[in-house]
Amino acid sequence: MSFRKLKKSWLEILLITPLLIYILGFTLAPVIYAVYMSFQDKFTLHFPTLVNYKYIFTHFQFKEAFFNTCFVAGVGITLELTIGLLVALILYRNFKGRGIFRAIMLLPLGVPTVVAATNMRYIFDTSGYLNSFLLKLGVVEHAVDWAGGGIKTLMTIVVADMWKVTPLVMLILLAGLETIPEQLYEAARIDGAGAWKRFKHITLPLLKPAITMALVIRGIDIFRIFDLPLILVGRHTRVLSTYAYFEYYDYANPYTSSAGATILMVMILLTIIAYLKMTGTKEVQY
Amino acid sequence: MKKIFCPLFISLFLIAGYLSAWGAGRDQVITVTTALSEAEWKVMKEDIWPMFQRRYGIKVDAYTVEAADLGKVLKGMVKAGRVEIDVFCQDNMRLAELVDLGVVEDLSRYRGQIPENVLPALVEAGVFSNKLYFMPYRPNVQIVYYNPLKFEKYKLNPPKNWDELLEVAKRFHAQEGMGRILFKASGGAPTTAQLYEWIASAGGDPFSFNDKGCVATFEFLQELWSYCHPDSKKAKWDTTNEFIAKEVAYIGQNWPFGVPIIVKDWNKKWLKTYGGWEGPEKEVHIIGGEVVGIPKGSPNKRLALKYISFLHSKEVQEILMAKLAWPSIRDDASGKVEGWLVPHFESVTEALKHGIFRKNVSYWSEFDGLLNDAFTRIVIKGEKVKPVLDEYSRKMQETIGKYKKD
Repeated sequence: MSFRKLKKSWLEILLITPLLIYILGFTLAPVIYAVYMSFQDKFTLHFPTLVNYKYIFTHFQFKEAFFNTCFVAGVGITLELTIGLLVALILYRNFKGRGIFRAIMLLPLGVPTVVAATNMRYIFDTSGYLNSFLLKLGVVEHAVDWAGGGIKTLMTIVVADMWKVTPLVMLILLAGLETIPEQLYEAARIDGAGAWKRFKHITLPLLKPAITMALVIRGIDIFRIFDLPLILVGRHTRVLSTYAYFEYYDYANPYTSSAGATILMVMILLTIIAYLKMTGTKEVQY
Repeated sequence: MKKIFCPLFISLFLIAGYLSAWGAGRDQVITVTTALSEAEWKVMKEDIWPMFQRRYGIKVDAYTVEAADLGKVLKGMVKAGRVEIDVFCQDNMRLAELVDLGVVEDLSRYRGQIPENVLPALVEAGVFSNKLYFMPYRPNVQIVYYNPLKFEKYKLNPPKNWDELLEVAKRFHAQEGMGRILFKASGGAPTTAQLYEWIASAGGDPFSFNDKGCVATFEFLQELWSYCHPDSKKAKWDTTNEFIAKEVAYIGQNWPFGVPIIVKDWNKKWLKTYGGWEGPEKEVHIIGGEVVGIPKGSPNKRLALKYISFLHSKEVQEILMAKLAWPSIRDDASGKVEGWLVPHFESVTEALKHGIFRKNVSYWSEFDGLLNDAFTRIVIKGEKVKPVLDEYSRKMQETIGKYKKD
């Protein structure tokens, strides 16, 4: 860029500089430093080394955290999208009280995750509402330990997360549904297409950009799920972010913590790239 | 020219005069770092610090620095030549790393200011290589909390040794279909503290991982675990109070700070405590708590020493005892304890009789991690005791080797 051009757009440069400094200083620099630390030896400070990665790849809790993260992400997103789409389809229809129903559906979005997790603890604790309900119904003989580990604990996280974020998915899909022209449905009806066919051949293809958007936003978000599992199920069922946290906070090891966090970051990046490649950016045109 | 300078000079004179008068009327300030619970902050803010300010005209500006972060914080300040902390309170298990980092002031010259009534063993805990780096502030020892109503209901006596503990655990489990014993298995420092105590009472050295005492402890815990309450996995120092108060669990060990919380905040006046149980070899209770120190290069060292002296005073120690149930560092501080607290203090005294200090080592964080991993694999996942402990013993030795090389 020539000096003259720079001089011409000095105001724009001046206005953008604080933001640039902020992003570089508070986002990019810490990320780069964390990646750097993940390749640094704790004792000798030698760089580069794979010693932290060797440690975490052989650490049983990292393996569990990796599996748990993938499970929560896979099952969570699938359920959130399915339920989010169902609710969005219901709310798309015209019915009395739709506005109130929409507002109620969006309420969980306004609840801070820490509060949501604490509320969920009242439900899923061994002495919580769910166990009281099941005991009263006679479904179980003794209280179920929902945080005891295994699939039931992971499903507890999924359900709690779903309650909190499905409204966001629903909102994105609802916005997508609003953009589909009504004439297409009318034309399809005239051609004799039933509800399922209209959904399959009109709604779903035209909703693809919205689904992509919801998937990417949730994909990034769900991998870094942190406070919810931390509060809800404690330290024994870890996901990658809580693994990194405990390595740093409990065991004062920022190097292995950085290695865990770097892997988490790579997973998020890979998910975004893979999904964008799989779906492409082409939009369906009618 | 004169016309301009005259009012300017007068204005400057007035501003300087106002500022100096304002400065003279202001108290001096010291910065203290500490990590306290909500109830503890309240007492400090409402009772201790105002009293110090009234008496010495020194205001305390306090903020939280967690024990695990203090070393990094002080290292950064000392390295930058800008020490902004005058007094720090630190967990007595995290002292070696501060000494190794060279960020604490040698207080040996000021040893004489420690009152004679302060228990000598607590003073010795702050000595490293014959130098006094830390002064006593708050000793702590875990006592047993139990629910006498439930024990009476099933005609049980509070356990005095491991065999009785297992028996009680089995009886509760059989009667209620769920374990009612609490073991702090949440992981991290609470689990390490409890394990350390149990291994020591089985005659083991926790750092060895696989000696006779360690093996006996883990084998016992593996058996006990199936009779523990499932919420043991969430039991930390704070949640233990909640589980006992909510009658989720009927017996568990904790620091005495939970007594006023359970009795006053939860209104559970039935709470009973006692010193603890014996292991297969002896009765041992680790002495936890905090010490105070001054960072190297503190700008207000004189005021900091005055503050430490104030903390050592009988008056302050009695307030902390009465309001927070903190055991005192002084042998003559007891007068102000309310009647209902007396039996609980007797439990503390009973436990302190069997008190030991944990080994203060630079590799505590690594030890903490390894011990917790071994616990998770053996007790929670049910893996075989000896092979796992042998594996962690090797890992511990490797880590110690690295520190020695370093």
